[in-house]
Amino acid sequence: MTATAQPSRIRVQPSFVRYQYETAYDEMFSAPGVPREHYQALHRTLLGMPQEELLKRQQAADLTFLHEGITFTVYGSKEGTEKIFPNDLVPRIIPSIEWAKIEKGLTQRLTALNMFLRDIYHEGRILSEGLIPRELVYSCKHFRREMRGLNVPRDTYVSICGTDLVRLPDGSFAVLEDNLRVPSGVSYMLANRKVLKRVFPTMFRDYGVWPVDHYPQALLATLRSLTPENCQYRQDPTTILLTPGVSNSAYFEHTFLAQQMGIELVEGRDLLVHDNVVYMRTTAGLRRVDVIYRRVDDDFLDPLCFRPDSILGVPGLFNAYRAGNVTLANAIGTGVADDKAVYAYVPEIIKFYLNEEAILPNVPTFLMTNGKHRNHVLQNLEKMVVKAVGESGGYGMLIGPHSTAQQREEFRARVLAEPRNYIAQPTLSLSCAPCLIDGEVESRHIDLRPYILMGEKVTLVPGGLTRVALRKGSLVVNSSQGGGSKDTWVLREGNGEDRVAKITSFERKAG
Amino acid sequence: MLSRVADSLYWMSRYLERAEHTARLVDVELQLWLDQSPETGAGRWRFLLEGLHAPGAKGAVDAAKLMNALVFSRTNASSIVSCIATARENLRHVREQCSSEMWEQLNRLYLDVMQTNPDEAWMLKSHGFFRAVQEGAHLFQGITDATMSHGEGWQYIQLGRYVERTDTLASLMEAHFKRNAQPADQVVESAEYLEWVALLRSCLAFEAYCKAYTAEIRPLRVAEFLILTPEFPHSVRFSVDRINAALHVIGDLTERREKSPTRIAGRLRAQLSFSQIEEIMGQGPHSYLENVRSECAAIHSAIHEIYFDYPIESEMAS
Amino acid sequence: MAYSVRHITRFRYEPAVRESVMEVRLQPRTDMRQRCLSFSLDVTPRANIMVYRDFFGNAVHHFDIPGQHEVVEVAAQAIVEVLPPTPSLATYACDWEELDERVAEGDYWEMLLPSHFARPTELLEKLRAELKLRRQGNPLELLQELNTELYESFEYAPNTTKVDSPIDDALEARRGVCQDFAHIMIALVRQLKIPCRYVSGYLYHEDKVKDRSPAGATHAWVEAYLGEMGWVAFDPTNNLPGCERHIRVAVGRDYADVPPTRGVYKGEAASELSVLVSVAPIDAPEPEELPPVMVIRSKPLNSASSLALDHQQQQQQQQ
Repeated sequence: MTATAQPSRIRVQPSFVRYQYETAYDEMFSAPGVPREHYQALHRTLLGMPQEELLKRQQAADLTFLHEGITFTVYGSKEGTEKIFPNDLVPRIIPSIEWAKIEKGLTQRLTALNMFLRDIYHEGRILSEGLIPRELVYSCKHFRREMRGLNVPRDTYVSICGTDLVRLPDGSFAVLEDNLRVPSGVSYMLANRKVLKRVFPTMFRDYGVWPVDHYPQALLATLRSLTPENCQYRQDPTTILLTPGVSNSAYFEHTFLAQQMGIELVEGRDLLVHDNVVYMRTTAGLRRVDVIYRRVDDDFLDPLCFRPDSILGVPGLFNAYRAGNVTLANAIGTGVADDKAVYAYVPEIIKFYLNEEAILPNVPTFLMTNGKHRNHVLQNLEKMVVKAVGESGGYGMLIGPHSTAQQREEFRARVLAEPRNYIAQPTLSLSCAPCLIDGEVESRHIDLRPYILMGEKVTLVPGGLTRVALRKGSLVVNSSQGGGSKDTWVLREGNGEDRVAKITSFERKAG
Repeated sequence: MLSRVADSLYWMSRYLERAEHTARLVDVELQLWLDQSPETGAGRWRFLLEGLHAPGAKGAVDAAKLMNALVFSRTNASSIVSCIATARENLRHVREQCSSEMWEQLNRLYLDVMQTNPDEAWMLKSHGFFRAVQEGAHLFQGITDATMSHGEGWQYIQLGRYVERTDTLASLMEAHFKRNAQPADQVVESAEYLEWVALLRSCLAFEAYCKAYTAEIRPLRVAEFLILTPEFPHSVRFSVDRINAALHVIGDLTERREKSPTRIAGRLRAQLSFSQIEEIMGQGPHSYLENVRSECAAIHSAIHEIYFDYPIESEMAS
Repeated sequence: MAYSVRHITRFRYEPAVRESVMEVRLQPRTDMRQRCLSFSLDVTPRANIMVYRDFFGNAVHHFDIPGQHEVVEVAAQAIVEVLPPTPSLATYACDWEELDERVAEGDYWEMLLPSHFARPTELLEKLRAELKLRRQGNPLELLQELNTELYESFEYAPNTTKVDSPIDDALEARRGVCQDFAHIMIALVRQLKIPCRYVSGYLYHEDKVKDRSPAGATHAWVEAYLGEMGWVAFDPTNNLPGCERHIRVAVGRDYADVPPTRGVYKGEAASELSVLVSVAPIDAPEPEELPPVMVIRSKPLNSASSLALDHQQQQQQQQ
């Protein structure tokens, strides 16, 4: 027993003294000082663990991240472009019943969005019936005319999706945005889990948490299920991951996933197209490629078809794609369905194609093309979040309550100049969760990005990436804007309380 | 395996070998420097530059500046720090091809050398630094052998290491024989003794040499040991054998056995295994070593043309 | 009227380049107003030619040349029959209300929204004010007037603008080539909420008629959607309505959608592009002298970084 063997050392338990209770939904506490059932064991563990021990574990975790090179790249900063993605040791816990609803809701949503994409690139029923204005779709900068009439395997345009969910003050989940182009962050989900299992092994086991480690296999199976019909050897299609290269912010993730799936990680310059077939340059000569998990944006994929100045792409790739000789996942042109203005129509899209009500609601959204909405928003800018429709990663955003008068004027002018480019949402108070800040437990805003795979079947890995706005009071969770992440535990059954009752004290190394 | 990946692994390995080699040489030189008068010391720095085939500084050489150029300079692509940074950069591009232990080790080595602050006092206690670089490189090599599957990628790492080693060894000896023209089969005198020991130490060969020939230093034997011994890892013969072995495996794996790199390497190997040291010393070790280096360069180009950057149309036809 | 069209494009690179990938839009369209009776395409060095139809229904041929080469030559030969225009066009002329209704019913947004080259700018706004362009009279007459006004307000001047010049260059100088005329007219017509598209093709030059645009080159003009009349052609460069002399190859939102050739290659090279176009009635004897060849030279692109080794784009200027 080390605790009593060193009586001279002062032990300070982390307190919740600095913990703030806000109007937002609190993940851990139902009332000040009263943890929700599924958080009780964690709460006890935290209270029982000496501060120095917590700090030590956090440092060990940080070191793991640094040594394994789990980093991301920040654009626009001169030195130290590689940073560790900050992780927080306090897990976020989701009871199984809540997860079940999320799972159903996201499956429904992605099914409908895929049908929507198939429709707008073919018959355009939803457009001719006037449910979505044609103009809205055609003016979307991610709409790809080149995709019209082109068929994709299994009619699956989006096979890899990461949807951002937030928890509203009443405790219900709502969709904040869909990421249907090249969603990232899944490697952090896996890395967080790996670290947390090392840091809290006993508590993790006793809580009964669904594993997430099979994500890479599920991803590979999804990709393979999309093999083009022209592939001569369907049993063993050559699947590769196409990365923009080492300077990309998500490069770590690309290498990680390629390694975990056991597939080649290629750059555009490794590939070439000859007679509508894609080859990669290997030491044993050219090898035909069948499925490309591409992490390169549409614009840069093929300089012949899209941006001519792209040096990341493969000239002629789109022609090979059109000819059905290669599959791209996600398909080209999926960005039209995660356009923030199209987002506003998703509940109607679900109704139109599936004849169902959306299980997961949207966040109220004002379209700036609508005069009434626009006036309302411009009169209440200080209460609104204004977003550029084609941007992601927290760029091009105005957060009303945290903005200066000058910023608001700037955005007012931008909205008036290009209403199609902006939407607004009322400022949401994202839910709060306990985080370890300098050895103290404090409350920070979080969201949730579960990852959905759609190929032969739909796979959701239980949990996802819980992103944390590490700056006090901040609502921006993006890694590029000072966000971090934490592990997300989806409980196998019940709320975990019965299984964790036996954890009485903090975890400690034997001896 | 992707050509680009093979290329990166090969270069990563070459750069790391180069960093280790430079660290060894500078370390040995620094030890010698402590034993010598300032004048002799200044001359030695020039030898060091020649041995490394680095752009030679004419006239007086400032030890601190030179040290900085060889060890820390980022403008000199062959400085130890540059080499480690480039090796890491190459590995970073192909991280998914190596084990995470390998990456962690090289990354740690990189972070360590980047943190070193070369102030005045540093030079005197630099031994620890050079040891750390050499140990870091050896550790990386050990980790590589222990954790990476010995497939095609591993073979390119071997190839890079031994192509680099053959070349640097030959350069070092070439420079050494040029300025130490003692009779080949006589025991060297105390004035030159240190020079020859330094050469052996620079190749980590002093102890092994003593075991084979006792501590009696004769140029002929040193040359034989460093050029023709098949068992010693820092001999030319050993390195060329490894190049051959790696090229054969790669040739089999890629079904390109008949191609030129294998042929050139085989030729060089045959030459080394049938050479007599008396012959080599008779015709002058200089020209022999020069030939080794040019064959080595030819192997390098052939690897590049057959595996890394081949013309596509030739592949299309087949 | 039937024509025989030859269009030869030759790229010369110094030093040699490799891995050229190229797309061409050279096959005349077959639709209500014309029929492409035969078409052949020859590429040197030899390459497999593949074809697809793009989203505007244009035939696109493409090929790649993996090995080293100094020259790429693309030779297209077509026989096209152009049908005479409908005699009493004006009888179908619709009014604004009817036009708006039809546009709302159909799928015309592509040709109404701003596109890469045809987009509103301050200078365009100035021109619009100057021409007092607004909805009045009937749409057909308004566009006929606009066609003439543009012809009169702008000077035809070859080589004053480049293939990728924005319309502001031509608007500023009040002169340009057919591509600029077309883009300016498209941007103006779309502001009137009339769908309008870009047409690339050839104009047959008769001896007796003096056209501004030169023979021996490709040409560009516009088509506006006017309800029951369908897509009606206007050629502001030559102050012509669409006629039997216009041979249509491709339609799109603007030039960016339908360049006659588009390509990418690897290597850093200076390039020279020469183009030869000849259009003759099918029953006419082969001309003894071919029209002059247009030549465009360009220096190698400076690669911005060591990575930017590959890539250069070649497009050809139209007149």
